[in-house]
Amino acid sequence: MTQHAFLYNSKISKVLRNINQVIVGKDEPATLSLVALLAGGHVLLEDVPGVGKTMLVRTLAKSLDCDFKRIQFTPDLLPSDVTGVSIYNPKELEFEFRGGPILGNIVLADEINRTSPKTQSALLEGMEENSVTVDGNTIQLKHPFFVMATQNPIEYEGTYPLPEAQLDRFLLKLKMGYPTPQEELQMLEKTSKNHPINDIEAVIDKEELITIQNEVKDVYMDQNVQRYIIDIVTGTREHRGAYLGVSPRGSIALMKAAKAYAYIHDRDYVLPDDVKYLAPFVLAHRIILTSEAKFEGITAEMIIEELLGNASIPVRKEYS
Amino acid sequence: MALISSSKRQLVFRTIIYLCGFLLLWEWLRPLETLTDTGSLSAFVIYTGFCFIISVLNMKWWLSIPLKLGGLLFVLDGLFISEAMFSKGWFYLLYLHVQYNLEMISSQNWTEITPLFRSLLFLVLLWLMSYLMYYWFVISKRIFLFVLLTFIYLTVLDTFTVYEANTAIVRAFIVSLIALGVSNFYKELGREAMTFTGLKRVSAWVLPLAAVIVFSSLVGFAAPKLDPQWPDPVPYLTSTSPDAGFGEDGTGGVQKVGYGEDDSRLGGSFVQDDSLVFQAQVEEKHYWRIETKDIYTGKGWERSTEPEYNLTSDGSVDFHTFENSVETKSLQGIVTFQSNAFFSKLVYPYGIKQVDGEEDVNYLVDEEFGSIAVEAPEQQGIVDQYQISYDNPSFSIDLLSEANGEDPQAIKDKYLQLPDNLPNRVGNLASQIISEEETRYDQVKAVEQYFNRNGFVYQTEDVAVPGRNQDYVDQFLFETKAGYCDNYSTSMTVMLRTLDIPARWVKGFTGGDLAPASDDSIEGLNNYKVTNSNAHSWVEVYFPEVGWVPFEPTQGFSNPVDFYQDVNQQQDSPDTDETAEQEEQERPGNQQEVGMEEDEAASDDNPKVQLADGWSWTVAIVAAVLLAVAVILFLTRYHWMSVWIRRKFHHQQNPQMYQEAYLFLLKLLNHKGLGRQEGQTLREYAFQVDKRFESQDMVRLTHQYERMLYRNETDSAQWGNITELWENLIKRALS
Repeated sequence: MTQHAFLYNSKISKVLRNINQVIVGKDEPATLSLVALLAGGHVLLEDVPGVGKTMLVRTLAKSLDCDFKRIQFTPDLLPSDVTGVSIYNPKELEFEFRGGPILGNIVLADEINRTSPKTQSALLEGMEENSVTVDGNTIQLKHPFFVMATQNPIEYEGTYPLPEAQLDRFLLKLKMGYPTPQEELQMLEKTSKNHPINDIEAVIDKEELITIQNEVKDVYMDQNVQRYIIDIVTGTREHRGAYLGVSPRGSIALMKAAKAYAYIHDRDYVLPDDVKYLAPFVLAHRIILTSEAKFEGITAEMIIEELLGNASIPVRKEYS
Repeated sequence: MALISSSKRQLVFRTIIYLCGFLLLWEWLRPLETLTDTGSLSAFVIYTGFCFIISVLNMKWWLSIPLKLGGLLFVLDGLFISEAMFSKGWFYLLYLHVQYNLEMISSQNWTEITPLFRSLLFLVLLWLMSYLMYYWFVISKRIFLFVLLTFIYLTVLDTFTVYEANTAIVRAFIVSLIALGVSNFYKELGREAMTFTGLKRVSAWVLPLAAVIVFSSLVGFAAPKLDPQWPDPVPYLTSTSPDAGFGEDGTGGVQKVGYGEDDSRLGGSFVQDDSLVFQAQVEEKHYWRIETKDIYTGKGWERSTEPEYNLTSDGSVDFHTFENSVETKSLQGIVTFQSNAFFSKLVYPYGIKQVDGEEDVNYLVDEEFGSIAVEAPEQQGIVDQYQISYDNPSFSIDLLSEANGEDPQAIKDKYLQLPDNLPNRVGNLASQIISEEETRYDQVKAVEQYFNRNGFVYQTEDVAVPGRNQDYVDQFLFETKAGYCDNYSTSMTVMLRTLDIPARWVKGFTGGDLAPASDDSIEGLNNYKVTNSNAHSWVEVYFPEVGWVPFEPTQGFSNPVDFYQDVNQQQDSPDTDETAEQEEQERPGNQQEVGMEEDEAASDDNPKVQLADGWSWTVAIVAAVLLAVAVILFLTRYHWMSVWIRRKFHHQQNPQMYQEAYLFLLKLLNHKGLGRQEGQTLREYAFQVDKRFESQDMVRLTHQYERMLYRNETDSAQWGNITELWENLIKRALS
């Protein structure tokens, strides 16, 4: 089709195939998780327990030949349980640092909203800075570093909602949703004997993943499309239902995600279609609604839907 | 009937609807017979029918266009061209006509357009109309607008013209109901995808429709009708803005200069017209008289009696406007009329004695008003060339000053007439002007010179028309103080009459411009060209023992005849000065009102309707043709624009061109009801289009376009098939 050649594009499809083997009918969250991975961002999966959030992350981690760590957040978890702690070694007569689970390549932060804000911010700080500070020492995190956090819907009991300002550390926020009856039937059949996750093999190694992440940055985005992004983002700031609109960080996130999405589809340029598709996942959790809007039952997704319906798609180029 | 095929059924419907369209268009043509000089209306109607038949048969363009063109030429041949059809001379004649008329159109010389060309344009208009009607009635099935326009047209004609649209309205009503009913039924069939078989019989829809039409027509016909609830709008419309160019009866407004018969409503602006009327070979330049008028109505001039024409056997004419005591000089000359200046009255100089024209032409002389009409056996009223012998008068100022005798009673009875409602201030002004003058000659000169000194302006534009209760002279003297010869001459005549000095109003032409001598010019005579712009009016004043003496009150014009002092030493009178200035100063004099055309002479009894015929119908036809062309171009804009863009696209393949072509396609699809929604991406839209067309072309074309648009790709190597995809889509969208 074109002159470009993405080295590892076929491997991306293989990862997706792996996920499809384990979790039936969840192509969209799978693809979007990959988008976040390739764009160098993090994912927040929100849904009720038992719909396969953890399974998705595990499958993804297993497909990648990377260091996988998991943190199960509980109300009594301490920040040091995330970052690691210095322990006195009687043999050496000195403190030595024992790294926490955040020092993996792929970190599954399960049920992140069940722990105290203090512990949450330990993780979120790491996601933002790519380093953690323990006992006055700054410890660099690994590269690539990819966090997939899951959380239960906020209305559930015993949850500490993530502060809004910290939500935009996540590139994407996804929902899993229940499978359809057919999909569930298929799932039952698959898991009746041996869980398919055990058959998964790693497809991409660490080096390859870094290469892919660099290639994604080279995907071309025309000014046309950039303007389209700005259109949507500024729209959220002016919308009367939004108390706080999407920050410039959101525009950058949307651009990065769109590039990764184009890459996954073997395209070396971004279409407005990519932007349009990703906008709800990238932008919705960055909007803070006014109380009136909440009262009227308006959601951030609805605002974005409305803006997408009105934003003018670039269909002409100015030639001098 | 139940098994009637779909295409056949469509043809039936189409034919019915289109036939109704033809009948409605016929209603548009019918009034032309009454309102214009269109003599061969049936030919036009037949041609329209011919065009309609060809349209309804849905022929290919390469068949229908030659057929329609052939029909058009056939009609022209039958109406105008005597040469054998399609012979060399025939084509040459047609070519000459077209060339001549295009020239006339480009110079906006509407009067000069020949009847053949007018008919040609009209036929073209009918052709275009047949297409437009086909488009409205059959393709887009929008009938109501045309029906509405038809009714408006008929009612307007009925109100404002002599055309009686009583039966036309009824006919149009029935035809419109049929058309609307059938077309609605046809549309319903298409929308509901109903089949005829389900309805079993035609009667299922024909009977109710017919019943409704018959019932409503009968009710409309039989129901009692109220008298008009509003007063007749015509007088109201024409009287609302008298000063803005409408006189009480609708005359006025901007007119073209020239000699005209009707002077009953003077005033209003006019435009110059330098077309030649006649050439005169005479020794000296002088005014050309045509006739006089005696009754001033307050708005214009009329004759007290109908002219009485007496045949002059040997061509001798003597109007006896001055007594034998006046010194004269015998002169001769030749007047040659322009062939297209169709003139029913002769122009002649003062002191005319003899007129000799072609053999079988008789001259009718009306001594009362001083007009000479012609009676030719073949074409009545045409004058071509005639010789004149005349005694050119020179008036002695002494003689005029001494002429203080009593005016004959007959002269006083006739030439002192004034309208009852003439404002007093006119007479007061006249008395004031002459307060210091003794003799009649001095008094007349004082009034004549009054205009030169009191801020009067000669102008032909922005000249007022008197309002309902205004007097023409009063308005000019006291309000506007601006006008042309009619204003000046009428004012002077009226003022003199208030002073009991008999005076009358004269019409004719000024002397014209000296032209280079032509081959057939006679030794010793000068050739003067007189154009429509030379039309003029002036004043004649009666002096006892002398007769009628012309005077010239209009600014910038000098007295047409010589005055001399008996004493040898010449006094510095204004007259002699004026004679010297004559050449430079002479400005075209004017008789307002359109006049010089064939139509007017052809029908003296109804000059107003005819007045409109000559050029305004031509303008109307030209405008209508242009409008029809514009509408057709607009309706078919996507067709010809796609051809144009395709050609450009083939010619140059670059991103700009691709973009233009692609965006045109979007526009076309939008026009066809397949528009892209706001916020819909090109790819989503392409899927939608392809779903409709059941193809892949739009998606494929769009993919290429996306690469250009969003990937900044300028390489046209890939573009081999996009022109093909584009053309496919255009074809599909246009079909």
